[in-house]
Amino acid sequence: MINARKKKLTTRDIISKVLIYAALVLFALWVLLPFSLVLLTSFKGIIEANSLDFHWLPEEFTLQGYKKVLEYDMGTAYEGVPLIISGFINTLWIVIPPTLLGLFSSAISAYAFAKLRFKFRDKMFLLLLATMMIPGTILLTPTYIIYNYIGWVNTPFPLMIPGMFGAATCVFFMRQFYSGIPSSLLEAAAIDGMNYFGIFFKIMVPLSVPALLAQALLGFIGGYNDYLGPLIYLQDPEMYTLQITMNQLKSYFAGRNVPAMMAATVISIIPTVVLYIIAQKRFVEGVATSGMKD
Amino acid sequence: MTLEKIYKKRHRRGLGESASGTIMASIPVLGFLIFGMIPLILALVMAFMYVPGKGNLAGAEFIGFENFKEVLSDYMFWQSILNTLKMAISLPICIVVSLIVAFLLTKDIKGRSFFRAVYFVPYVCCAVAVSLMWELIFNQNHGIINSWLGLTRETAIPWLTDSSTYTLCLIIIGIWGGTAYGIVLYGAALTNVNRSLYEAAKVDGAGSFRCFFNITLPSVSPTSFYLLTTGLIGALQEFTRPQMIGGGQGAGPNNDGLTIVFYIYRRAFVYNNQMGEAAAAALVLSVFILIITAINFVVSKRWVSYD
Repeated sequence: MINARKKKLTTRDIISKVLIYAALVLFALWVLLPFSLVLLTSFKGIIEANSLDFHWLPEEFTLQGYKKVLEYDMGTAYEGVPLIISGFINTLWIVIPPTLLGLFSSAISAYAFAKLRFKFRDKMFLLLLATMMIPGTILLTPTYIIYNYIGWVNTPFPLMIPGMFGAATCVFFMRQFYSGIPSSLLEAAAIDGMNYFGIFFKIMVPLSVPALLAQALLGFIGGYNDYLGPLIYLQDPEMYTLQITMNQLKSYFAGRNVPAMMAATVISIIPTVVLYIIAQKRFVEGVATSGMKD
Repeated sequence: MTLEKIYKKRHRRGLGESASGTIMASIPVLGFLIFGMIPLILALVMAFMYVPGKGNLAGAEFIGFENFKEVLSDYMFWQSILNTLKMAISLPICIVVSLIVAFLLTKDIKGRSFFRAVYFVPYVCCAVAVSLMWELIFNQNHGIINSWLGLTRETAIPWLTDSSTYTLCLIIIGIWGGTAYGIVLYGAALTNVNRSLYEAAKVDGAGSFRCFFNITLPSVSPTSFYLLTTGLIGALQEFTRPQMIGGGQGAGPNNDGLTIVFYIYRRAFVYNNQMGEAAAAALVLSVFILIITAINFVVSKRWVSYD
């Protein structure tokens, strides 16, 4: 009897296993379908891509889409530099410095909030927490007016300078992390005569490299994918970030050359996807921990 | 000499604890005061002003509640709220789907890390690329959906340019892009569920469905709450997808893609002399978000358990 029961259970297990795998595979297909479609379309010819007679694989494998995108320079942007490449370079130098400096600002203040005693510490931290509640939309018009007043419109400064002061969410996350580091370690360093800045750079930073890396990655992706900010502040095509050049490319290629538009899409997501593949674990860690508040 | 004294003496070399702490902590606070507080005050003031041009403060004048009257009596404003709420339907679907997927991933299966890796990819894709991908899928003339339905050029459905299908398409796009985050968060939360609860339930003869609803669901309720709250705040500020799909200043068929932020954006940056109205609309949106978040917190006391 015991045997029969055991056997019954295993067949049930097998069925449920099959169902689980089927669900997971289906969901993976659903996630991957748009990607594979875009990738395959980018290698098609113009006429083939513009037909309702759909085939997954290109009948005639061609790189014309990529060629066209990499030839398109709008005439006005840097001579001979394709718009999408100049957009990519602009994105890099607009996003990387604020990400790194902002991370530094957030981390050092997180250390202070976690481990040091000073006047108004809790009040300052509460103020920072409160900023997380402000919807970004309400700042849209007043910041524009202020930047316009000081001549920052049509420069990358509005996209760069504020971020250099750090971000409340990052402070919050790093503070959680630093609170977990035993204070006895820091006291030992203090007795050895190290000042607080030394403790931060020589002890806290090395201990938190993985967490910092995760935050840096998330910050970079956020900046890389930002759309509304560059859309409002960057008006010269020479300054367009990658996301804005996509808009430009769309109005030029859509309807005319579908594979070229898809080639541009592929090019635009390659950097983040590659970054994700390289640092997958960090990414997921960063997301999982920064989202959890307990 | 006590340790305390040594500690203090050695420390005189650098700045004291209080000064160091204040300097270190003040960088983000300073950033907020300059780039957050000042604009915030200006936003409140602007909402009551007529601001000519594209933000010419010198020619601005106070006009009382005129901007609010204008916005609140604007049919388009109410439509934009309705559009935004309709698109937000993707949020609860995302939450449910990501919980189910994350739950299945906790089962004893092979290739778990592969599945996890795949499911997260939409998160790193920008909204712009996502819009372009789905435009390809929904395209009337060469889209895969129309092709699969066996339609010809004459019978092809204009998914993204017809008012009756547009919102549905945007919801689907929202679902596709919105599950990655939830799967990761639920994945972390599910590994923290107390195992002994399941064992106790098994002893009591509870089936897997009852286990799921009575143990798993309450255990991950803080995550559900977090996803719902932040997701709603994000959904109410949706902009990129409809703007990208509409292309330029167009807001989709019949203005169905005109979300609240899109409405504010148009008033502020596309039309002239309407910065004041935009600020008023943004203020209304913020109050709206505040109320919804507050309701969320109050209601959460009934279903979220922090154990």
